[in-house]
Amino acid sequence: MEFDKILTNNNLWAVRYDNETDNVLQQLFSQWSDPEWLMNFFCDNMSDLEAYFKITDVNQAIYDTIDDSNELQCLILDLSPDSNLDKLFRPLENNRTQEMLLGREKARLARNRSHASWLRLYAIKLEPGCYIITGGAIKLTRTMQEREHTLRELNNMELVRNLLLQEGAIDADGFTDYLSETNEDYLYETENS
Amino acid sequence: MKQKTVDYLLRNQSKTPSQWREEAEWRRENAAWLQYSQRIAVLLLAYMKAENLTQQGMADRLHCTQQYVSKILKGRENLTLEVVANIERALNIQVINL
Repeated sequence: MEFDKILTNNNLWAVRYDNETDNVLQQLFSQWSDPEWLMNFFCDNMSDLEAYFKITDVNQAIYDTIDDSNELQCLILDLSPDSNLDKLFRPLENNRTQEMLLGREKARLARNRSHASWLRLYAIKLEPGCYIITGGAIKLTRTMQEREHTLRELNNMELVRNLLLQEGAIDADGFTDYLSETNEDYLYETENS
Repeated sequence: MKQKTVDYLLRNQSKTPSQWREEAEWRRENAAWLQYSQRIAVLLLAYMKAENLTQQGMADRLHCTQQYVSKILKGRENLTLEVVANIERALNIQVINL
């Protein structure tokens, strides 16, 4: 596994998996703009599209995906070293409120047309404002465990997380200190509010 | 806190440069005509599905090569009006609706 620097200040990275010619951003945006790939995907997942989004027109699903992909792509392209990545990514688990070591995160478009965007980018959070993108998906179901292609993304996040831990690439003590400081700040704010 | 991780990532950077930004910028710069090309690709894919056609079968109807059909279906071909008119005539479908 290798890594590509996306922002020059080292705050955003993308994984390049073994035997792949480029990183996950290149692969995802290439697939999400490819009508043939999208036609195959939506035909294979037609029942989810109908059940969860009440959409029966595959062509419209493809057009919507390409539109959203273009928008998400512009969002990433226009990121600068000053951008606040914590506004782009949020915890994968909707009910998670506390920081966790190498937390799993997701990015999605906030825009709602007739339906919410089903595109997701997945990442591991190294610390506030610093992320590694591990993959992405067209998420048509409520949970990621329900389908093989989204389950694979969960596994990839775990793969990257484990690699960083096994390789000793994480400053766990620093994280503990950071958590203590965050909790102290939180307690101070709570006590004084 | 992140320095240790960044050092690791820098040591394990890809040996070959990524094409993602170059490709993404190309898609953004050419978005206007790409949208037409992608929509034509979707129309042809839907037609192939309805007619149960392979790319070679489509190539036979369009009197072109299978490789050219494959390129059109990727939605990245800047098709001329002549090609579009040929597609409409060969398949008896309307692609441009002015």
